[in-house]
Amino acid sequence: MKYVILVKQVPDTTRIKVDENGNLIRQGVPSILDPYCEYALDMVCRIRKPEDSVIVVSMGPPQAKESIFRCLELGANEAYLLSDKAFAGADVFATSRTLTAFIRKFAADYDLIFCGKQAADGDTAEVPAETAAMLNVQQFCYSENIIISDTIKVTQNYNDEIRVCTVPKGSVLSVSIGDINRRVPSISDHIKALNIEIKTLDRIALGLGMYSVGIKGSKTKIESSYSPRYEHSGKIIDGTDPSEAAKLLIKEVL
Amino acid sequence: MGCESCSGGSCDRDKTGLPPGMLSEYNLNQSPAEGSLVWIEVINDGNTIMMNDSSKEILGKLQEISDGRIFGVIFGDTELKVLYGEIFSYGVDTLYHIKDKKMIQFQPEVYCEMLVDLCNRVMPAVVLMGATPRGRELAPRLAASLGTGLTADCTELKMDGRFLQMTRPAFGGNIIATISCDHFPQMATVRPGTFPMPEPMIGREGTVIYRQYYGSNYKNIISSERIISVDYDITRAKILISLGNGIKEKESVAVAESIAKKLGGMVSCSRALVERGWFPQSRQVGQSGNNVFPDIYMAFGISGSIQHKAGIGPAKRVIAVNIDPEAPIHEIADISVIGNADSILKEMNKLL
Ligand SMILES: Cc1cc2nc3c(=O)[nH]c(=O)nc-3n(C[C@H](O)[C@H](O)[C@H](O)COP(=O)(O)OP(=O)(O)OC[C@H]3O[C@@H](n4cnc5c(N)ncnc54)[C@H](O)[C@@H]3O)c2cc1C
Ligand SMILES: Nc1ncnc2c1ncn2[C@@H]1O[C@H](COP(=O)(O)O)[C@@H](O)[C@H]1O
Repeated sequence: MKYVILVKQVPDTTRIKVDENGNLIRQGVPSILDPYCEYALDMVCRIRKPEDSVIVVSMGPPQAKESIFRCLELGANEAYLLSDKAFAGADVFATSRTLTAFIRKFAADYDLIFCGKQAADGDTAEVPAETAAMLNVQQFCYSENIIISDTIKVTQNYNDEIRVCTVPKGSVLSVSIGDINRRVPSISDHIKALNIEIKTLDRIALGLGMYSVGIKGSKTKIESSYSPRYEHSGKIIDGTDPSEAAKLLIKEVL
Repeated sequence: MGCESCSGGSCDRDKTGLPPGMLSEYNLNQSPAEGSLVWIEVINDGNTIMMNDSSKEILGKLQEISDGRIFGVIFGDTELKVLYGEIFSYGVDTLYHIKDKKMIQFQPEVYCEMLVDLCNRVMPAVVLMGATPRGRELAPRLAASLGTGLTADCTELKMDGRFLQMTRPAFGGNIIATISCDHFPQMATVRPGTFPMPEPMIGREGTVIYRQYYGSNYKNIISSERIISVDYDITRAKILISLGNGIKEKESVAVAESIAKKLGGMVSCSRALVERGWFPQSRQVGQSGNNVFPDIYMAFGISGSIQHKAGIGPAKRVIAVNIDPEAPIHEIADISVIGNADSILKEMNKLL
């Protein structure tokens, strides 16, 4: 089997703080492998057989190599970084198109593609289904469990419904849940990873035109953005005496 | 005689340069797209069939901002007939019913194929659906198939003629961006609970058009089980008592359930308590759990991480009980009680 995992580097949103004006303090916030991508990779590493190949690919700036390296430590055995100045400012459509071009050209014989459910920075959760549509294959979002025997079966969780489907080869899966007792990489995993080259591919290598990628290939445009200031009254109540606090709360709720 | 651009004597164009009888030049580059198409999500648990609230909210908003026709689409068999009246009462003018037994279950590939076909006939300027788990899976597939953009999880929509401005939060609501799309149809998913529930216009009528699917791109669904009983769905609660890592005593869960019962609310939690095994995942609020839309959200011992806050954006009022006055949850709280969550819960239960 040949697995492709689409991974993204994101700022660690659990460490982002907001200043008193409501602006994000990005300084000093480390970049990490998106948690959902890590869940996806972990899922693949648990089901893979030793002879299977696990390819990770990420579109991003050169710094994204750090996250790709982590994927190698976690068990991937081939890695690509799609990086080009022209890729900057890509929306979902341009991102999916770039990733699709990679798959067509460099991994056309894959068996399954795995993604995270959504990237922790933008929360858009669009790339998996757009990529599936562009490749004209089936998609399985919110996957929680996968069983591979003669057939492939996946369990999907729609919050109000759990269902099990057969997965044809070539499908795209997005993973929504991680194992809290995930394996952490050891020293020997680290050394193994050091010996694997992360191959970088640019726009020309992918055979994409100027108007297919980045901001020029995007369909949506950000008109404006701001950090909201919350206009709540923000009353503060001393709760050292629980029964007094309880009385006040009940008055507020009733 | 003749126009100035050619010298031939046989030219019958007049001074306007247009053929006789043509009053003005058609702009052949302009897209004829207009009106809006909405996927109406249907909840069907075998007993009850109903329109998803988020579809109603979208239709209500469209009535307010759009002057074009509203097209609706539903997928399923004859069991959906009971919904026609209700769908028209929320403002749909033309309803496409894609009739097929197999479409009772969510089939993103087939739904998408049919929607592409419909978009090519109807040429809507806008396509909207709820940012429900299914809407968020179907919309990007459709956007990529149509070669257009998509803005996910919008909390505000504005329309100028047929042009749409879409506003959405990112980073758990710490950034709000307004986005436009330079292609038709402009597509967005809309966060449930952000727009008010419209009043139905009882007796309003519309047209139903049946369509059929002749392809074979069905998924093979082996089994399907509904896990949220309609009676304990935290996304429908008006009051939520929500517990987090700051809750130390297991007994507080029962206390919270008792308070919720007395207030007519429900109990939800942060991911920390799902990890502790105190609650099933269906009770979790946040990015990897549920988005909730209560009138009052009471957070007991919840720090207010970005992932948690992402799920409570639409809550009308937030009340936080936390021992730490610096906890980020206070940034969005209307009322902050600095105190011990377990003992305050206990006292509340006694007083109610
Ligand atoms: C990809 C990803 C997705 C995630 N999705 C979600 C999600 O959907 N939902 C979610 O909730 N989390 C999610 N998380 C986890 C999130 O980052 C936080 O770890 C989590 O929300 C913390 O839960 P908490 O606030 O209950 O606990 P903590 O952060 O530990 O906060 C406990 C709070 O309780 C207070 N406290 C302590 N003792 C008391 C006391 N006696 N009385 C009153 N207050 C007290 C503390 O001051 C503290 O503020 C996600 C994380 C990742 C990486
Ligand atoms: N730039 C990217 N490079 C590789 N994979 C990506 C990229 N952006 C998104 N993905 C994949 O798509 C998933 C969902 O991301 P998003 O649609 O951005 O929320 C991620 O978890 C990744 O698996």
